[in-house]
Amino acid sequence: MKRSAWWRGCAIGLFLLYMLVPLAATFLFSFATRWDRSIFPEGLTLNWWHAVVARRAFGMTMSNSLVVSLTAMVLSVLLVTPTAYWTHLRLPKAKPLVELFTILPFGVPGVILALSLIRCYARLGAVIVYSPGMLVAACMVIGLPFMYRPVVNALNAADVRTLTEAAHSLGAGWVATMTRVIAPAIMPGIVSGAVLVFSTVFVEFTLANLLVGARFKTFPIYLVEFTRFDGRQASALAVISFLFAWAASLAVLWVMGRADREREGAVGAR
Amino acid sequence: MPAAGPPRRSKIRSPLLWLPVLPFFLFGLFMELVPIATVVVSSLQDAGGQLTLANFSRALSPALRASFGNSIRLSLITAGLGVALGTVAGAAIMNARSSFFRGAATALADVATNFGGAPLAFAFIVTLGSTGIVTLLLSKLFGIALYPGFRVYSIAGLVLAYLYFQVPLMILLVQPSLRGLRREWREAALNLGATGRQYWLRIALPILTPSLVGGFLLLFANSYGAYATAWTLTGPDINLVTIRIAALIRGEVQLEPGTADAMATISLLIMAACVVGYLWTSRRSQRWKQ
Repeated sequence: MKRSAWWRGCAIGLFLLYMLVPLAATFLFSFATRWDRSIFPEGLTLNWWHAVVARRAFGMTMSNSLVVSLTAMVLSVLLVTPTAYWTHLRLPKAKPLVELFTILPFGVPGVILALSLIRCYARLGAVIVYSPGMLVAACMVIGLPFMYRPVVNALNAADVRTLTEAAHSLGAGWVATMTRVIAPAIMPGIVSGAVLVFSTVFVEFTLANLLVGARFKTFPIYLVEFTRFDGRQASALAVISFLFAWAASLAVLWVMGRADREREGAVGAR
Repeated sequence: MPAAGPPRRSKIRSPLLWLPVLPFFLFGLFMELVPIATVVVSSLQDAGGQLTLANFSRALSPALRASFGNSIRLSLITAGLGVALGTVAGAAIMNARSSFFRGAATALADVATNFGGAPLAFAFIVTLGSTGIVTLLLSKLFGIALYPGFRVYSIAGLVLAYLYFQVPLMILLVQPSLRGLRREWREAALNLGATGRQYWLRIALPILTPSLVGGFLLLFANSYGAYATAWTLTGPDINLVTIRIAALIRGEVQLEPGTADAMATISLLIMAACVVGYLWTSRRSQRWKQ
């Protein structure tokens, strides 16, 4: 028993070290004055943060990225939720096809998706292929698995068939049933899917770089540019990027955890 | 099926029943199937639209064949190490006593699978680059000179960076199966005189095998398709399939577009094999979870 506790401690320690050191290093690096001769940074400063945030391009790329991620998020919710609900309740035979479309993106790397879209729609003209709209649509493809899974899990857990029938027998129409009964019941799934889509799209570099590039610079493109010429400011941008990923993941875990607890509470009360 | 609710509309016949899912299918058709089919079909055609395999012979010319070799080797290494390290770390986390720690470590793994890309690559430059912080600490504290023997801007550096998202992904993938290993099985084995090692090798590992194989395939695909991390860390000179295809798209290299199509088609076949294999093994590993 003692030996197993020992290897467990070692494994966990190494894992944490590997996970946390690059994050801590990037974080510290963004506040350090000079750090290439001594063990500790020679001083601390906020200069890099000031410089990076003050640039006009920072606000612009940030807002570009927010526009793309929020649009892709909202459209994904509107596209996937009704489809998942309808196939779950009324059209089970369409389910395998829906699942195929939501699994396919796993097998198509971003580079190949970009190539396919460019080769397929090039004849529509560069204005359409290399546009922010195309980027949003391509990001939605990447996001499909992340949107669909949580919604389907929520549909399975919520017993939507009974809810729908109850709503109908109480006189609710389709719209009222969808917005006032079904949507609240599967809200944890919708929210987690939406947040996952948002965070995936926000850091998406491949599609942005190949489809729009310099024409519509997003935050990750801006970050990569900086890594080539100013490491300090790039590290500040990387920290911002990490904070977004953290916030999004923690939001999903929190929403799912709360939904689980509520479900347990409901079962306990019965 | 229960015959409940007055407004039963299951009488609606098929065509109308498909209407609500039409937008989704149109999206899938025009954003996934048609574009992918375009690439696959045009990989088999020459500029005049005649059926040919010339694109594939160009895609498998020595320089480009090397890129497939590098991509596959990198994916095999990071998937193999990812499965091994992820399973050990996953088991250690599962068996930790504090439930707060188990939650926190799982949350960490969950977040890390979403990292990757440019910020991750840059974090590794800061950590292990030629003037990186760990590089510095190793040389100042222990007199270990990482450079020039090791370079983070190389395939070895990519292995380290990829493991940062591969190991956490494996932890998340293997956790349900680890939870499926019942305590009684271990106790039964130990009561019958098995050692801990025998329990793991003879009982736990065979039960875990389908999910380990499935995890390996998913990690392989994950690594094979990665682009942003490699591009940020090593730049355009590294010879990987995704980097090559991207260079062809951006027109950095003068080559017929058919070559990119053929490289993409070969990659899609590799990815398809991984995903189908994963789905098959995940169905098999369900058997132990009832």
